[in-house]
Amino acid sequence: MDDSRLLERIRQGDENAFAELFARHRAAVFRYAAHMGGAGAADDIVQEVFLALLRQLSHYDASRGSVGAYLLGITRRQVFKRSAAAPPPPLDDDGDSTSALESPDGNPFDDLSRAETVERVRAAIATLPAAYREAVVLCELNELDYATAAAVMDCPVGTVRSRLHRARALLSAKLAAIRPGAVTVHD
Amino acid sequence: MTDDLDRLQRAFRAIALDDAADAERAARRIEPALLAEMRARRSPERPRSISRIVGLAMAAALVGGLAAPVWIVTRGARPPRAEAPNVAAPPVEITTSFLPLAYSAMPLTDARVVRLEVPRTALAAFGLTPIDAVETTRTGTVLADVLVGDDGLARAVRFVRAARAPGVTP
Repeated sequence: MDDSRLLERIRQGDENAFAELFARHRAAVFRYAAHMGGAGAADDIVQEVFLALLRQLSHYDASRGSVGAYLLGITRRQVFKRSAAAPPPPLDDDGDSTSALESPDGNPFDDLSRAETVERVRAAIATLPAAYREAVVLCELNELDYATAAAVMDCPVGTVRSRLHRARALLSAKLAAIRPGAVTVHD
Repeated sequence: MTDDLDRLQRAFRAIALDDAADAERAARRIEPALLAEMRARRSPERPRSISRIVGLAMAAALVGGLAAPVWIVTRGARPPRAEAPNVAAPPVEITTSFLPLAYSAMPLTDARVVRLEVPRTALAAFGLTPIDAVETTRTGTVLADVLVGDDGLARAVRFVRAARAPGVTP
């Protein structure tokens, strides 16, 4: 059963339909909330997002995107409402500023065990500018296609691509910067 | 560089899986609250006492004669306060029934009564003839209790006069 049908059944009071929809989308909503709003706030944000869905069941318009994108849009608003900040400011998406961020010689991952790499990447994601972090969360962690991510981020698809490209370059550079002599190897 | 990106991708996948596990843990706490909210929203108990009271008040107003040029005295609508015997009793108020306003048909979940001074001509708008029983203020207005919903829209109004002394019939 697709999400739109589940929503119809939720409108009719079907708790199982709600449980199914919640199970399908909670991880994506949680990821966005945790990475964009902070791990400590993620639980509350997830709850607020699905409460908002229940309160505004008639607001969803299938012609404007998927239920998943709709929920992430609500999540985005919740995150920025909580942080009392505007959505990520537009960055310079046209300039060629990534060259300085490319990895230096050598592989930044060579000296890191897998677990360490994961933790380093997680920490590095947290330090990215919000607009780049958002692109990583939506496209890499939630595996959204560019068009859906663009709809959630309310920007052109090309902007999503460029932010993602720069985010990857920044992550590589950040990980390379901590490599020399700073990491214990566990193999 | 491709190798870098491959490892980065693998790290992304691992983080996504970790997050999914965290989300599942969070869901155990959140889901019962959400289902409770869902039940509450479709419960027939939701339009509770206040809307029922408002409905009764409106029905009373309609049945009681919206166009009647007389006041329907509802003495004792308020329960007497159990004050200490040596404290002066509050003045008794005489009110009309609640009269429905333009938004009276809109559902509401909560409401409060706001006391206002309104022009004396407001009485005529409800088919009430200002007679001696209606006491105007010094500014020529009359007192009204307006029932305001939690959405800020006024649902009903009743007019009020304060008796000169407890137990005095106008």
